[in-house]
Amino acid sequence: MTKETIEQVQLQFKQALAQASDRLSMEEVKNAFLGRKGKVAGLFSLMGEIPPEARKEAGRLLNNLKNELQALFDEKNQSFSGAKANEQWVDYTMPGYSLPNGTRHPLTQAVDDMLSIFKRLGFDIAYGPEVETDWFNFESLNFPPNHPARDMQDTFYTEGGGVLRTHTSPVQTRYMSKHEPPVRIVAPGRVFRNEAISARSYCLFHQIEGLYIDKDITFADLKGTIELFCRMYYGKDVKIKFRTSYFPFTEPSAEIDVSCFLCGGKGCRVCKNTGWLEIMGCGMVDPNVLKAVNYDPEKYTGYAFGLGVERMVMMRLGINDIRLLFENDVEFLKQF
Amino acid sequence: MIVSIDWLKDYVELDMPLEELADKLTVAGLECVIKEVGKSIPEGVVVGKVIERKDHPNADSLSVCKVDIGAPEVLNIVCGALNVDADQFVPVATVGTQLTPDFKIKKAKLRGEPSMGMICAEDELGLGNDHSGIIVLEGEHKLGTPFSEYFKSSKILDVDITANRPDAMSHWGVAREIAAIYGKEFKKIPVELKETGPSVNELVKIEIAAPEACPRYTARVVQDVKIGPSPEWLVQRLEALGLRSINNVVDASNYVLMETGHPLHAFDFDKLKGAQVNVRYAAKGEKLITIDHKERELSEDMLLICDGEEAIALAGIMGGTESEVSDETVNVLIESAYFEPAVIRKGSKQQQLPTDASKRFERGTDPNETLVYAQDRLAALILELAGGTLAKGMIDVYPEPIAKNTAKLRVDNVKRITGVDISKEKCIETLEALEFNVLEDNDNVLTVEIPSFRPDVDREIDLVEEVLRVDHLDKIPSMSRMTISVAEEYDKFHPFLSDIRSFFVGLGMHEAVNNSLVNEEMGNKNIWGYQPLKILNPLSNEMNHLRADMIQPLLTSLRANALKKRTNIRLFELANVIEKNDYSDTKAVEHYNLGVLCSAPVFGLNWTGEDKAADLFYMKGILDRLLSKLNFNYKLKENTNRDEFEVLYDVVVRKSVVGKIGQYKADYFEKLQLQYPAVVMELQVAKLFNWYNPKKQYQPVPQFPSMFRDMSLVVDKKCKSATILNEINQSGGKYLVDLVLYDVYIDDEKLGKDKKALSLRLEFRSEEMTLKDKLVDDVMNKLFERLKNQYGAQLR
Repeated sequence: MTKETIEQVQLQFKQALAQASDRLSMEEVKNAFLGRKGKVAGLFSLMGEIPPEARKEAGRLLNNLKNELQALFDEKNQSFSGAKANEQWVDYTMPGYSLPNGTRHPLTQAVDDMLSIFKRLGFDIAYGPEVETDWFNFESLNFPPNHPARDMQDTFYTEGGGVLRTHTSPVQTRYMSKHEPPVRIVAPGRVFRNEAISARSYCLFHQIEGLYIDKDITFADLKGTIELFCRMYYGKDVKIKFRTSYFPFTEPSAEIDVSCFLCGGKGCRVCKNTGWLEIMGCGMVDPNVLKAVNYDPEKYTGYAFGLGVERMVMMRLGINDIRLLFENDVEFLKQF
Repeated sequence: MIVSIDWLKDYVELDMPLEELADKLTVAGLECVIKEVGKSIPEGVVVGKVIERKDHPNADSLSVCKVDIGAPEVLNIVCGALNVDADQFVPVATVGTQLTPDFKIKKAKLRGEPSMGMICAEDELGLGNDHSGIIVLEGEHKLGTPFSEYFKSSKILDVDITANRPDAMSHWGVAREIAAIYGKEFKKIPVELKETGPSVNELVKIEIAAPEACPRYTARVVQDVKIGPSPEWLVQRLEALGLRSINNVVDASNYVLMETGHPLHAFDFDKLKGAQVNVRYAAKGEKLITIDHKERELSEDMLLICDGEEAIALAGIMGGTESEVSDETVNVLIESAYFEPAVIRKGSKQQQLPTDASKRFERGTDPNETLVYAQDRLAALILELAGGTLAKGMIDVYPEPIAKNTAKLRVDNVKRITGVDISKEKCIETLEALEFNVLEDNDNVLTVEIPSFRPDVDREIDLVEEVLRVDHLDKIPSMSRMTISVAEEYDKFHPFLSDIRSFFVGLGMHEAVNNSLVNEEMGNKNIWGYQPLKILNPLSNEMNHLRADMIQPLLTSLRANALKKRTNIRLFELANVIEKNDYSDTKAVEHYNLGVLCSAPVFGLNWTGEDKAADLFYMKGILDRLLSKLNFNYKLKENTNRDEFEVLYDVVVRKSVVGKIGQYKADYFEKLQLQYPAVVMELQVAKLFNWYNPKKQYQPVPQFPSMFRDMSLVVDKKCKSATILNEINQSGGKYLVDLVLYDVYIDDEKLGKDKKALSLRLEFRSEEMTLKDKLVDDVMNKLFERLKNQYGAQLR
């Protein structure tokens, strides 16, 4: 056993100690060097091989080593336990790691909120294409060719003879032409209007269409359903009112106003001081629509309604420029 | 459509509060609001008299006046107008008057003289543009009278007429509704005609060459009229509706249009060559200059009113300049006709010329009573306003009279549709109030004759709406017990999408909604190589195609955000992309896809000093988590077709390419100077949904402990790690349950220039027993042997 051997163990210990970062690794260091089968004990066990005249000096050196290593170990070990650990000051006021904040788009969120209400009321979800045929978008819905009602919806035409659907109503006739009554569906989706883009109007928006066809369905069922929907969506105190309107695919047709969710009907900025908000169009499905899908209007009646999601979202969130909803500015999106 | 309240009173008594009236009309289908039109003079402006005028001692152009406004104190006012003088009656804006939103009259001192108000010129009161001098009132006036009393404002109803109600586009129409709603009488103004001229048949000949487009044409002639300005009452009534007064004959014709809703036309009779009127379609290449002074090229489906030689008017749309009534006109021919709605609509669309006349004709006017009434009413008005003599008789070409429609109403059906009990008596009462004629009442089935001014009504269901809308819409009960109709199958797609949305929100991404309309370049650049579908009538060239992928619109969002210096851009979107495809009847095939775009750090700058960019491997991690969550095995196949990508893979599921994942080259967005690389992914989620099988069976929780083994392999730098991982996964035996690459180490000196070290952790586990060291060691040795032989791998 030479002085070099002792120094080597000393060096190894210092390296191992420096790398130890938790109690477990400290324990490993202790066992490897200072334990019963540790390296220091190993050196002591070699004492017998040392010539007697050098034994005393070797013993002194080994004891010095043992004490030194123990002292170094204890010093570092204190920071892992007991009072010393508390003394090591951590700045807990440092901010947490910034985890990215995911959000749903307010439009799809609103669609989901509304669909979940209609699901509770027994409606299933149906879909239709965005590029429609003239027949489904207009004719099956009782819009005759060259009729002024077609002016109500400025239409995009696509190469190949399709139209971008101007409303989700063609899902009505699509669904009915494949299913026998009873039919009770809501159809969410994008619709398109060929209108100049401004703060108030965009070339596309989202609608939710509702349709219920069965025996003995009346306007009173429609009213009850819409009232329930409004109560679930806006709260129990909401009031609704109908006024006669015109849609080619319903007769009688009506627009539905709800009492303003913000002021409760007293009049405010959101409802332009009328106390009422226009939220959807509805009516009893026109017999011509039922005939178009070979349903017998003498046997079946039903109602349909359609609401514009952007309008409702903008009113609710106080958004006054519809374009914000389609720009995807992350500073906007992260708010929802 | 604007309707004057004052004018309505000619036809129906209006003793109800106007707000209530507007509400009731709105509920019945004529959505309207009450507005006030006319000049409004600010409060505080009163009539005063200048009792003394002196030159301003310190300013040549100013006068100092003493003005009496009937108050105890006479006001001292400095005035700059040249025409101000003593003894004038003038409008005075007193101190405190808010003349405009940002101009309030205050006490002032002008060049040393106190001024306690302002004497006003026309423009200062918003009455015109004249600023040449103050307004001077003629005659004597009561001092202090609010100046606003000199200006009558009038109340109007602004009515939003739905496309099905041409009858309501007139004062008559609105009055009729009011009468029905309130149970009042609707009165027409009686017309008496003095026909003192020659027989009209001797003056003009009418011929209809296209009777299917013009079923009826009537004409009267008034001779020796005197064209001149209209009387004040007529000017005011038209002005209240926003119509400019032109001359007495033209104004009268507009008046009858607004009264009855029936469009009329007055021609200068002497301009009609050959003293005849022909109704025919245009010949190819025919032209006409209309009264708006535009030369119009006419196509062969344009219906024309012609004289003996040429076109004089676009039938039902607009007259020509040549035959227009002018100051020189002496004899007038009045046209009152009925045109087929579709013909007028086509012509008006084609010429992009919607007029008061075309809007009514294309919705359908009354070919019977109203047409004739309007003819007579206009003739009488012209006689009253412009004098002259009326030729005897009316020419009436009406070869096949249009009969009134009838429809049956089963009273029981009213309840079947509306859910509200309306008695037969009430049905009859409402219908008759709306001028429907109940011809027969047979065992609760009513036979109803429909007035010919209501082209929107011809079926039983239309009668049901009539009965409902006038008085019963708010009486419908609200059903509170609802039945559920059982469908055969319920939708699972929406919940599937909701899961995907939650997944991405959980990852810290924002859901985006992009425009479906893109420009041609974006359409063509779509990641799938589809042919994009073109829009034939786009709003602009920036939006003339439908999006054919999710990625291009997301890049637009990326650019918009980057231009605003946003740096944490993590977006996902679910929407349809559209592929042009000849096999579909609309030439469109829709794919419902997921798009993901990221240019952001994984965490964001923080005090640990780490700012790791979310790169391709981040997106690969997302793809892996998503597809394993949905139970799909997948492969990535390198795609080298796109230059703009640093790396791009096809995502392959069930041997079919269902997605793309890639990282753009850094210089692709050079101008944007993105702080982080742009990585994107697109997946055909609707296709995945069709294969999706959520019926997952529970797997027993591991009962025995795992054994971990690390392996550090030195391989060629260009050896693909995926190859090594695949090999281990395949040959790792049945106990290998997980494999993680946890370090890649490159050190040209220690490992060699072309080498790299891959550190892998393997997890072994059995469901039946605790694994023995030896067994696992054997597997590890065999694995290593295999990797050594196949890929020249060495242990590090």
